Amino acid sequence: MGDRVADTGPARRDVLNWLLGSWLVGVLGSILYPIARYLVPPELPEAAPPSVVAGKATALATNSGRIVAFGTAPVIVIRTPSGELCAFSATCTHLTCTVQYRPDLEHIWCACHNGHYDLNGRNIAGPPPRPLDRFDVTVQGEDIVIVRRT
Amino acid sequence: MRRRLDAWVRERLPLEPLVEAVRHKTVPQHRSSFAYYLGGMTLFLFGIQVGTGALLLLYYRPSASEAYESVQFIMTRVPFGWLVRSIHAWSANLMVAAAVAHLVSVLFLHSYRRPRELTWVSGVLLLGLTLAFGFTGYLLPWNQLAFFATRVGTDMAAAVPFAGDFLVRFTRGGADVTGATLTRLFGMHVAILPMIATVLVAVHLLLVQAHGMSVPPGVERNAQQAGRPIRSLPFLPHFVLRELFGWTVALALLAGLSAFYPWELGTKADPFAPAPAGIRPEWYFLWMFQVLKYAPATLLGIPGEVLVFAGLGIGGVLVLLLPFWASRTDRWRRALVGVAACALLVMAALTVIALMADGGAHK
Amino acid sequence: MTTLRVVIGCAAMLFASVGVVQTQDRVEAARKAFEGDVHMAAGLQCAACHSGGGDAAASSYAVERTRIAPMCARCHSDPAYMRQFDPQVRTDQYSQYLTSAHGRDMARGELRVATCSDCHGVHGVVRASDPRAPVAPLHVAKTCATCHADRVRMAAFGREATPFADWSTSVHATALLKRGDTSAPACSTCHGSHGATPPGVTEVANVCAQCHVREADLFRASPKKAIFDGMGQAECLVCHENHAIHQPADAWVGLEQGAVCATCHDASTKGAQTINGVRLGLDALTRGLASAESVVERARRAGMLVDDARVMLQEAREHQIQARVLVHTFADKPFADVAAKGLEAVQRAERAGEVALEELQYRRRGLAVATLVIIGFLITLGWKIRRLAAPGS
Repeated sequence: MGDRVADTGPARRDVLNWLLGSWLVGVLGSILYPIARYLVPPELPEAAPPSVVAGKATALATNSGRIVAFGTAPVIVIRTPSGELCAFSATCTHLTCTVQYRPDLEHIWCACHNGHYDLNGRNIAGPPPRPLDRFDVTVQGEDIVIVRRT
Repeated sequence: MRRRLDAWVRERLPLEPLVEAVRHKTVPQHRSSFAYYLGGMTLFLFGIQVGTGALLLLYYRPSASEAYESVQFIMTRVPFGWLVRSIHAWSANLMVAAAVAHLVSVLFLHSYRRPRELTWVSGVLLLGLTLAFGFTGYLLPWNQLAFFATRVGTDMAAAVPFAGDFLVRFTRGGADVTGATLTRLFGMHVAILPMIATVLVAVHLLLVQAHGMSVPPGVERNAQQAGRPIRSLPFLPHFVLRELFGWTVALALLAGLSAFYPWELGTKADPFAPAPAGIRPEWYFLWMFQVLKYAPATLLGIPGEVLVFAGLGIGGVLVLLLPFWASRTDRWRRALVGVAACALLVMAALTVIALMADGGAHK
Repeated sequence: MTTLRVVIGCAAMLFASVGVVQTQDRVEAARKAFEGDVHMAAGLQCAACHSGGGDAAASSYAVERTRIAPMCARCHSDPAYMRQFDPQVRTDQYSQYLTSAHGRDMARGELRVATCSDCHGVHGVVRASDPRAPVAPLHVAKTCATCHADRVRMAAFGREATPFADWSTSVHATALLKRGDTSAPACSTCHGSHGATPPGVTEVANVCAQCHVREADLFRASPKKAIFDGMGQAECLVCHENHAIHQPADAWVGLEQGAVCATCHDASTKGAQTINGVRLGLDALTRGLASAESVVERARRAGMLVDDARVMLQEAREHQIQARVLVHTFADKPFADVAAKGLEAVQRAERAGEVALEELQYRRRGLAVATLVIIGFLITLGWKIRRLAAPGS
């Protein structure tokens, strides 16, 4: 097929240039498309933060707890019966179930194997082998802010 | 209408001489003319680094608490972020390889001869700059491996006599590798080094254009003896299209590597964790790493590290100033090629040994 | 004649001096060991225990085995005396010992049973809370095993010597010795220390419930409790063994050979349907989790973001753990609810993993298209270069 067109030199060169141009557009397209998509900010505008806002301070009643997501890990924020705020990793140290606050016992409880932790995160009863990791809590304006301890 | 526009542009952009020069520029053709493409390849990869680096800056955050998370964010949440970062990392490695290949080919073809001494010097400086880019960029994701490699790498500067402690503090921005080091290396990586690189690249390219391509002495002599001119290829479009071919292949290679071997991120740096197994610098520093392992503790009362660095320093200066001390006799040139080839083989062997030792450590 | 007397006299002196040398060595060794002893730190001297002998005869120094415990008790059962060293100290050890199998036998004059010094050491006693102590959590099983794993010694009492070996294969030994989890039980946790005695059939569940509260609560509320009590079976042990307590497997629930339910139940008995239902639920969860985990893991290895899927997997695992605990209700209802929730989480996790893998496929397809375009461009460019080469050369 190439030989047949070879007779008409300039015509063939035109076809070649046109073809080359089209391919070039394709190549540039496959470079520019990812760049354009990259420039559009993603839905989640920020990287996993070293701190998270755990809702309004006023909304957390005394002697109650709330589970919030810290990145992908759950954290439990508690307002103790004496009104102080504290936060712990909500992952039980026994078999990684998510713990909860028990207002009747006034401490943290894991439903899976009845593990108990006091309000300092210490494992006080049941199978948990270690205390819960503690997070720092501050109140900024209305919001409760949890910060990972480093 | 079109003529008037043409004239308007020409008056304000007096590029005519440049266009004319490029149009008449030719590239010699002989057995080793593939070497002429290596500089262009390095330039292309440098361009990719500038482009992807600028893109990464949009999302990267240079602080110890956020650097790792932001790179993770780029890799996972930003559309095509994985591609941009992987290309930046892969292209950095290919660029070092291309720059080294460029230097070696220039050395073997003796293109550093008069009047191209300054081209050589600027080129060697650019290679050093490329390695500095690699070193400063390695830490930026703030992962465990890079953290410890940087700690080891900056610690080596302590072996320099007299100024050692100062150099360590200077590169780390403090006594130890910390967030301050990250900010410092980031500043070097994206501002100071690019500034120097821009100037050096401009000088290097200008000199290349001013002097034209060098013809190896052997080819020149053969042509003289045969009494015929050296074959040449028009720069435009023949050479440029060939170069474009190479660049496109490189682009496809980068895309493939990034898609199938995305650059790993590892775990976040933890200064208090024990050093992980298999800490090592980037592959192009491995041979130095290995030399340091073989260095004796002391020799004639001088610490082994100091000796190694003195050797490397003297070697570096010799390479940098090669055109000024190299003799022009044929025998001498053959000897130089032999010595360089041996040095390269030793470096390659050391790198392979270091890689294999590391592979063993992982098992 | 005189010569003979001299020879005999010399020989007698020689023997006597060897005896003295040996005694001196032993005294020296005891003195050395005593330097690290908690009693030495409290200001006690050798004579505090070895008060019997003022004469040099070696035998008079040793305290008779039957007298060791009462001797220790002189101080250790005196709260007023002990309080000066530790205000929280317990002083019931001796009275407990008297109730233990060891103490009762010893009171009958049986010298082969354990007394204080057999577990705590002789000279060089350290506090029980000291990690180096032979009764510290990590060492206590080995200490008991010096006698209780000795077949000959145990045979004399008509007891098995297997508990230590059995326990060593248990989840408790793994947790204690491999993971260093000192809250995991060794011998004394279940049998007591000073009052050591095997728990009876009715006490066993109480012992286990010290840690496994939720399982015990569920069990006690279940119909099984009355049935086992009626049969005189020791609750937990029926399925879980006493010393060789292994990681429970889902396959224990079932009617086929090897399942613990099958010991009493077969397809015709009451509850067969519940057993099968629970087993189906457990198996579905395990299979689902394994499949979802492999999908998510594949996506992760390929460098994809799978954080969401991992959260869902975690949720599913949590439900699996809960479901396994709920087996102790021996009923369909609460188990089925939790198992269903777990299965639902498993499906979401698997879906999220598949979405990530689809994204990977999308990337690969994108790369393939881009590569095709580039190859097309390269071929055309190569063609163009060859066409150009003719006039150029």
